[in-house]
Amino acid sequence: MSGPETAPDGPGAPETAGPAEPTVGPAEPGTGAEQPAGDDERPPSPPRRPLRQLAVAAAPVIGVVLLFGLWELYVRAAGVHVLTLPPPSRVLRHLIAEPGFYWEHSLITVREATLGFWLGFAAAMVVATFMAHSRFVERATLPTIVLLQSTPVAVLAPVFLIWFGFNIWPKALTAAVFCYVPFVVNAFTGLRAIDENAYELMQSVSSSRWEIFLKLRLPHSLPYLFSSARLCLGLALVGAVIGEMFAGSTGGLGNTARVAQTRLLVDQLWGSIFTLALIGVAANLVLIAVEARMLRWHSSQTTRS
Amino acid sequence: MVSLRGVSKWFVGRHDHTHALSRIDLDVSDGEFVSVIGPSGCGKSTLLRVVGGLVGYESGTVEVAGTSPAVARRTKQLGFTPQTPALLPWRTVRRNARFLSELNARRAVSQPLSEQESVALLETVGLGKFLDSFPSELSGGMQQRVSLVRSFVLGAPVMLMDEPFSALDEITRNEMRYLLLDLWARTRKTVLFVTHSLPEAVILADRVLVMAPRPGRIVWTERVGLARPRTAAMEDDPEYLEHVSRVRAALREASAR
Repeated sequence: MSGPETAPDGPGAPETAGPAEPTVGPAEPGTGAEQPAGDDERPPSPPRRPLRQLAVAAAPVIGVVLLFGLWELYVRAAGVHVLTLPPPSRVLRHLIAEPGFYWEHSLITVREATLGFWLGFAAAMVVATFMAHSRFVERATLPTIVLLQSTPVAVLAPVFLIWFGFNIWPKALTAAVFCYVPFVVNAFTGLRAIDENAYELMQSVSSSRWEIFLKLRLPHSLPYLFSSARLCLGLALVGAVIGEMFAGSTGGLGNTARVAQTRLLVDQLWGSIFTLALIGVAANLVLIAVEARMLRWHSSQTTRS
Repeated sequence: MVSLRGVSKWFVGRHDHTHALSRIDLDVSDGEFVSVIGPSGCGKSTLLRVVGGLVGYESGTVEVAGTSPAVARRTKQLGFTPQTPALLPWRTVRRNARFLSELNARRAVSQPLSEQESVALLETVGLGKFLDSFPSELSGGMQQRVSLVRSFVLGAPVMLMDEPFSALDEITRNEMRYLLLDLWARTRKTVLFVTHSLPEAVILADRVLVMAPRPGRIVWTERVGLARPRTAAMEDDPEYLEHVSRVRAALREASAR
């Protein structure tokens, strides 16, 4: 953080002044910017390494292309049986040939995961709010969170099936249980770990609990919520897919993958996997865009590199 | 404006008790600037919080702006400036300055400054270009300026300042003194200013109170007769230096006991 006082005329100045300078330079000794050395009136131009910058920008794409390229090469060169591991080109061809099928099942899974994500979030916010306001509730609730965290919650999927039957709820609830723990831990931290001085400041004018919640606790928890949301996007998909696999289902990408496994439909198995990965990436990109808009003030946004 | 009679305050712990304030008598008149200085643990911050209604006390009476601290707090008649700027990072400079005046607005007795007036105040402290910046984009001194403006925007008759410049470097700190005096001169509110810094206590105040610890009490009162407006040039004034040396002597004695 170099501070805004130096920023506005920092890197921009030498570029605009540079080309115009030589014509007037010799006449005005004070501004002699054409002398490359010994001029301490102006900051030096920032180093320019366009190739390096381009490489850094393209690195994520290069990484993905390399992964699939090596995979493709290995499968072909080593003659791996297609049932063991199909080449990615074959999976992509299959996906392009059957867009309707995957679209339909994606919608089912996304619906379950979304419902689960928001259910987990809502439950966590309610619990975390009570925890942040009461030491008793905090101490009483913490062990239940640890208990839930230590349980492989996937085993709850069959329970939810018994409770709710063959519909969206067992899958959504499995996803919700997956999301609940990271959300509640982060929401609690965000709502509780507020600036003591800001809190006292609000007390000095008799702010109500509601005002303190709305204007201090809630905005303070936003960065925490976003970082857990990133984790929970993936977890919601995991929960939905596990629900589809173990809590009886006739649709969704978890179901198509399971069916493909039992019938040795290698294209459909890998097609489901690729589609799920794509959904995960797309959801993350959306979240990053929302976060960038809502957390413009947050320093982790500006210092992240 | 502020009046304490025989105020005592204990901090009762499981193993040890601290007599934070012992029979404090104090009168601060309307528009007076009073500095409170003393070694750590002498109860100066506690004194400020008792007046601000932020902590209770065991005996004695406290009157602030013609009422009890609790009522004064509820009706927003106390402008509090905390030790750190305590700006909300998600609010711009402009909105941070108006933060206190937005809170608990229905019960406010005193009129806060208008939107334009608070912007004007931000401009006078040199933040005109940063109205829409976020606190993370400001230096420590700039953040503290926003914090000062915020307490003045509230328009409360009594200002309570708890070592507001303690986190700043010496040069910035020195600038802030005159900036505060400039803001104060516009309104002449009653100020109770807690500080660690001797020159700060003297140059700002009409009266400097020196406190001693265990039990916390006022051991010396120094009336500062320097003319206003105070300027940096007065720091070389023999009269100022005399005040400083007397307060220093009192402070030394207070710390030794």
